[in-house]
Amino acid sequence: MADPGWSTDTGEAVYRSRDPVRNFRLRVHLQKVTSSSLLYQSPPQLVNDLIDMVTFNPRTSASGHWRDEEDEEEVVIGWQEKLFSQFEVDLYQNETACQTPLDHQYHQEILNLEASGGRKNRRIFTYTDSDRYTNLEEHSQKMTTSDSEVPSFLVERMANVRRRLQDRRGLSTSREGSIVKSRIITWEPSEEFIRSNHVINTPLQTMYIMADLGPNRKLGQSNYEQVLCTLKVDSNGVITVKPDFTDNKGPYRIVMEGEKQEVWKYTISNVSSPAQREEEEREQRVFKDLYGRHKEYLSSLVGSDFEMAIPGSLRLFVNGEVVSAQGYEYDSLYVHFFVELPDNWSSPPFQQLSGVTQTCVTKSVGMDEVAYFSYPFTFEASLFHENEFLADLPQWPVLYLEVISLDFWQRYRVEGYGSTVLPLAPGSHTVTVSTWRPVELGTLAELRRFFIGGSLELEDLSYVRIPGNFKGKRLSRFGFRTETTGSVTFRFHCIQQSKAFLEPGFGWKKMQSVLGGFYKQDSVTNVLEAFQRARRRMQEARENLPQDLVSSSTL
Amino acid sequence: MAEVHVIGQIIGATGFSESSLFCKWGVHIGGAWKLLSGVREGQTQVDTPQLGSMAYWSHPIDLHFATKGLQGWPRLHLQVWSQDIFGRCQLSGYGFLHIPSSPGAHSLDCVTWRPLGGWREQLARAFVGGGPQLLHGDVVYCGADRYRLHTAAGGTVHLELALILRNFSRYGIEC
Repeated sequence: MADPGWSTDTGEAVYRSRDPVRNFRLRVHLQKVTSSSLLYQSPPQLVNDLIDMVTFNPRTSASGHWRDEEDEEEVVIGWQEKLFSQFEVDLYQNETACQTPLDHQYHQEILNLEASGGRKNRRIFTYTDSDRYTNLEEHSQKMTTSDSEVPSFLVERMANVRRRLQDRRGLSTSREGSIVKSRIITWEPSEEFIRSNHVINTPLQTMYIMADLGPNRKLGQSNYEQVLCTLKVDSNGVITVKPDFTDNKGPYRIVMEGEKQEVWKYTISNVSSPAQREEEEREQRVFKDLYGRHKEYLSSLVGSDFEMAIPGSLRLFVNGEVVSAQGYEYDSLYVHFFVELPDNWSSPPFQQLSGVTQTCVTKSVGMDEVAYFSYPFTFEASLFHENEFLADLPQWPVLYLEVISLDFWQRYRVEGYGSTVLPLAPGSHTVTVSTWRPVELGTLAELRRFFIGGSLELEDLSYVRIPGNFKGKRLSRFGFRTETTGSVTFRFHCIQQSKAFLEPGFGWKKMQSVLGGFYKQDSVTNVLEAFQRARRRMQEARENLPQDLVSSSTL
Repeated sequence: MAEVHVIGQIIGATGFSESSLFCKWGVHIGGAWKLLSGVREGQTQVDTPQLGSMAYWSHPIDLHFATKGLQGWPRLHLQVWSQDIFGRCQLSGYGFLHIPSSPGAHSLDCVTWRPLGGWREQLARAFVGGGPQLLHGDVVYCGADRYRLHTAAGGTVHLELALILRNFSRYGIEC
């Protein structure tokens, strides 16, 4: 109990709310710390925390301790609710002191208050957005201990933001709409434009919760005024509270200057009444309705159906690009490529599975001579399995390519051959294919290539991998000589679609972990095995289902 | 129906021999696709680099598509132009890019090319500027007629695109 658990962090806290700010309420509890009140913990939330310690609390009422009612105060304050201080009451009672319309309004309000039995607050009071204090405070607030601190340019500008809002509330939205689209740049900015655009331009509303901490029965001296809490709300519903609510923290402390060094503590809590259950439900219903209608609108535009893969098949979409070719000997390159679909794969008849890029003159990038193609190609292929228990595993499509240079004299030289298996995992892949070209022994062939063009070419491009007519157990290329040439960069965006992916037990994560292993082991079989297993499970599940369910699921 | 959000920016360009660059861009989509909101083509400001050779545009792209099928995934085509001190514009490069299919943020480089023309035109371009342009812009995003062209490599355009996909997993699609 010796440590009352002060909150020393007086930094600001930011809250966001979509509800109107006028529902914002907060409770401020202010108490003077005396030798006896230190032991007395009045905020209920603290009692909750210290429930086991409650026996040590002296029962103030039982012990007959007399407490000055001016030493403790609790008020609930609404947003921009004006509570007058003793000083203001004294000031505005006198009609001759009133200058502005606001002063006169306050005069009237104070007279009404007096008539209705006096004000309820004593020490705690507020300054609202329209009060003079708010402007002054913003202007003359000191940040350092320097005696000669002058408000900077930015301070004045920022104060303007708030003041401007007071002048022209509600105009901001109509102003935005009236900006002429064709004029993007203001060559001659006006004063007003500078004032509104050179600083942050979110208008704020400010409110100060103050306390008059003067000696008892001598309230109303403005030098005893202390800021308890600063609240700022901007038009986007951002609420800044400095210091933060003391909901589950200890109270804040103010030590007064002067001989007595009185200590005050205060708590701030948010007591905005939560929305009614019916209201909340209504709000949710409205949102639901709105989203539902939006969804209907969307599906009326596009249609709610989606092209599905045939059960038991895997559809592969490849959006690809031939990006560049680099590191080749001659200039003016083009790339000829085609995709070979292995057994059990098929593609729509209109599909083009080959392409020829434009001829591109290279440029130097670093050490390399690079040709840029950015050539698009897309294709779609499906993997079918008529026979479920096929012994061998399906193969993935392969892309073959050859790079050819065609120079000014129309001399034609093969620059390189290469191939790559299309990426197995869906997603984006950048693949660089290294290429080689066949060479003949002796200088004659190279001389011919240099002067008149033409060189050894492959009769069949499939020789790059496994020749189409190859039947045997070992593939030997001994005796075939090649030379490393440059490389071609491709970019693939692969999409796979299959009903098997919808099966709950399938789990692409599992597949991906297998795929991750694939890159390490460099073996296709694992992936395809996993795919096979999943398909088989799905097939079995389908067979076990009642027939009517199956027909409905294919819809 | 599945939905795709493409949010990103055309950051800038490097590797062009000209300074004072600007970029025209457009998005081409297939028949099954529909643009629900966003602007499908645009043009950046002219940027003259002061330090270094990269022109920065930071041009926003924010598109929302809905689709009935996977064919015709959105593709982005670019044209980079340069403006000289007399205010004349000449073509510096055509570029093409498939919008990625996997969700998440992608940092992409799009290489460009420009039609070369005959030696007379090349010479004229070197001295007074100008040069041939494509008659039909669709050659940039359709590969079919590309083989007729003789081109020169241009610079690189840098992009940042983030993708948000919706409902694709419902149709058994992994992308």
